[in-house]
Amino acid sequence: MKLKHLNLAYTLLSTQYALMLEYRAEIFLWAISGILPLIMYGIWSEAGVSIGLGIDSKWLFSYFVSAFIVRQFTAVWVMVSFEEDNLEGRLSPYLLQPIYPFWRYFSSHVAEQITRLPFVLLILTIIFIFNNQLFWFPSPFKVFLSIIAIFIAFTVRFLLHWIFAMICFWNDRASAIERLLLLPYLFLSGLVAPLDTFPEPIKNIALLTPFPYVLSFPAKLLAGHNVDIFNGFLNLILWAFVFFIIGFWAWKKGVRHYSGMGA
Amino acid sequence: MPIISARSVSKIYKVSEKAPGLKGTLKHFFERRIRIIKAVEQLNFEISKGEIVGFIGSNGAGKTTTLKMLCGLIHLSSGSIEVAGHNPEQRDRNFLRQITLVMGQKQQLIWDLPPMDSFRLNAAVYGLSDRETKRRINELSTMLELDNELYRPVRKLSLGQRMKAELLASLLHRPTVLFLDEPTLGLDINSQIRVRQFLAEYNYKYGATILLTSHYMGDITSLCKRVLLIHDGKLFYDGLLSDLTNKLSPYRLVKLSLTDSDSAHFVSQFGQLVEYDDHLVKLLIARENLTEVLTTILNQFKVKDIEVTDPPIEQLIGKLLKSGNI
Amino acid sequence: MSKLNFSIFRLIKAFWNTSISKELEYRLNLFIEIISVIGNLSGSLFVLSIFYKGGFNLGGWTWSESVVVLAIYTILDGLTTSILQPNLSRIVQQVQDGTLDFVLIKPVNSQIWLSLRVISPWGIPSIISGFLLITYTFIIGKKILSLYSILLFCLTLISSIFILYSLWFIIATTSIWFVRIWNANEVLRSVLVAGRYPISAFPAGLRFVFTFLLPITFLTSVPAEAILGKISLSLIIFSLLFSLALLFLSNKFWNFAISFYTSASS
Repeated sequence: MKLKHLNLAYTLLSTQYALMLEYRAEIFLWAISGILPLIMYGIWSEAGVSIGLGIDSKWLFSYFVSAFIVRQFTAVWVMVSFEEDNLEGRLSPYLLQPIYPFWRYFSSHVAEQITRLPFVLLILTIIFIFNNQLFWFPSPFKVFLSIIAIFIAFTVRFLLHWIFAMICFWNDRASAIERLLLLPYLFLSGLVAPLDTFPEPIKNIALLTPFPYVLSFPAKLLAGHNVDIFNGFLNLILWAFVFFIIGFWAWKKGVRHYSGMGA
Repeated sequence: MPIISARSVSKIYKVSEKAPGLKGTLKHFFERRIRIIKAVEQLNFEISKGEIVGFIGSNGAGKTTTLKMLCGLIHLSSGSIEVAGHNPEQRDRNFLRQITLVMGQKQQLIWDLPPMDSFRLNAAVYGLSDRETKRRINELSTMLELDNELYRPVRKLSLGQRMKAELLASLLHRPTVLFLDEPTLGLDINSQIRVRQFLAEYNYKYGATILLTSHYMGDITSLCKRVLLIHDGKLFYDGLLSDLTNKLSPYRLVKLSLTDSDSAHFVSQFGQLVEYDDHLVKLLIARENLTEVLTTILNQFKVKDIEVTDPPIEQLIGKLLKSGNI
Repeated sequence: MSKLNFSIFRLIKAFWNTSISKELEYRLNLFIEIISVIGNLSGSLFVLSIFYKGGFNLGGWTWSESVVVLAIYTILDGLTTSILQPNLSRIVQQVQDGTLDFVLIKPVNSQIWLSLRVISPWGIPSIISGFLLITYTFIIGKKILSLYSILLFCLTLISSIFILYSLWFIIATTSIWFVRIWNANEVLRSVLVAGRYPISAFPAGLRFVFTFLLPITFLTSVPAEAILGKISLSLIIFSLLFSLALLFLSNKFWNFAISFYTSASS
């Protein structure tokens, strides 16, 4: 039984990887389109506001480049592909197969990350060539921890989007909701401004949401900044657990509704 | 013991309606009018193991809805269904392993990869071993006459090749109950025949039960002894295809060849004229007074040759499907 | 010629009617769009406020001047949602499934057809709130707008719309050669985000890129300078000429691509 599952996981991943390789040109462009943190670095490095917060240009550089990396490997588009599969009628055959369709989408995301890896390395190389004086070396242990943190962060984001993708069962244009999910992610995760620069009350509110943990926390880990490792992982795992429960429940409800209305 | 049984199955939908134009649009935006539609009403039928049953009816008659209810994709509003000893709505894994659904207008193969990759994926989903998978792919691809196509991206395949690959993917787990919704849609005549032969072979080899819908009467007449005719969500006919003619057409077709061309005009008054060409007259005559009318004709006119047949079933059903009236 | 132009506008009116009624089917979108615009604006204002908290300014721009830049960005973003995105994403799709042929055999200007074929009402909240934000900053600052600066603003805004459109259209056109180019538009959109801030707030290297390689300066900073009355006439004229040149280039490029398409495809 275990072996069979392992084989299924391997086949799912390798098939999706083969598919993603077909889309390598798009994935390359998509990787480039994640440059927001680098644009923000441009502004922050010039604005000079950071003086007084213990933030210097080296800090800003390592922070935003790390944020760029974290964002690359936590990209989620499950709502769009779920909606498309629903509209084009692929969902019905998926439902007739003895596998939770969740895994199809999850594996396709992971396969995409593998495809994306060389492109991200290429972009990073270019960045470092132009900014070699700001280069930093995180410890291997921190790198290891941040890779794990990035993967859990990706899982948390994926589960959150999965929950909302279930709305497609009720409304066939639900992927528009993705725009709403993007808002708190954009402004509360630390993508455009480090949380350290937030006014205290807003920072405290942000820390009550999952968003800082899916970007700021792994980014700081990777940048080698001071960060509460235990608290970060605790929050990530907690949120993953909560979203997993809700997601599973939403799936059950969605399928029941889908079958009620007609596939 | 039937493998499929449906007892007083009904399905009701709610749909919202919109009047045309900007005014209608705005009104629709703020307030939706809901109408109730009965897609399927009080359906009763049973299908035994190994049967190939044709499911016919005009567009919107409720065929696809019924097929989806049989797979458990749509829940019933009332009634009950049992397929292979399961209630489809529970979507039990053991149930799912026994069935398959093929939709001619929708595809499940991964568009940008060769079919082989989709097969491998499906094999893993159904937990088949590598050796078994290879064996089944070989066997099915020989039956379907697929070969090099398996290694080309799906988008590069012709419609016929794609449909064959689609069938292979859906049958890899060797289901015993097949639901086929327009499996030959848009295929050329050769591919249609190939698919038909394949289905007959699969049915014979594995004793599989097949329920198929098609707009091509050729599919139905060559594969199905028995048909279910559904109209407006109600079961209109359930029985042998050959007996359907009687039900659909209470007439027989009489071809008369006359020696005297003048009398053709008079002869045509004895029935519903189909064709009239100099010496040749084709008439539809009601079954119950066929002998009576024929005797009269033979007595009054000089007849060279006479031929009595059933009107062709394809034409009858085709006409029915087009007009939507019974 | 005039008859042809007339007919294409009638055609577009008919197209827009149907696309609006199609879009209004999705009531959820209005709700989403309004929340998204409010959220986006307040988020952006919040980030701006972080910059200005310590009394610093972005490239010599005051708080309210930066808000005007943000407002213009919001207007352009709305236009992108309403017109550019829905139409130009279709070009890619039409090349892919071959329906571009149907457009090319019609006796109308194919570029206008393809660029204005559909409209989505969901960018309107952005456009309105952008204008409201500009008005608000002027009321708060107790500044009086002269008719002259409004005129200059309109001119520079039109040229910025032309530039934005041309950039989008040129990239969409390349889909005739590279069918899967759509993500290039995503790249463009992601770089245009820099237009939320005055270009002079960036380091010299990026300033160069955003002025000469990707003319983001002309999209938001120049119209903002125009309405704030801190622009020279020559820059306005340059911006207008530049936009017309880009528009012309986009048309030439399209015709070139079409001749390639019709001769290459079978």
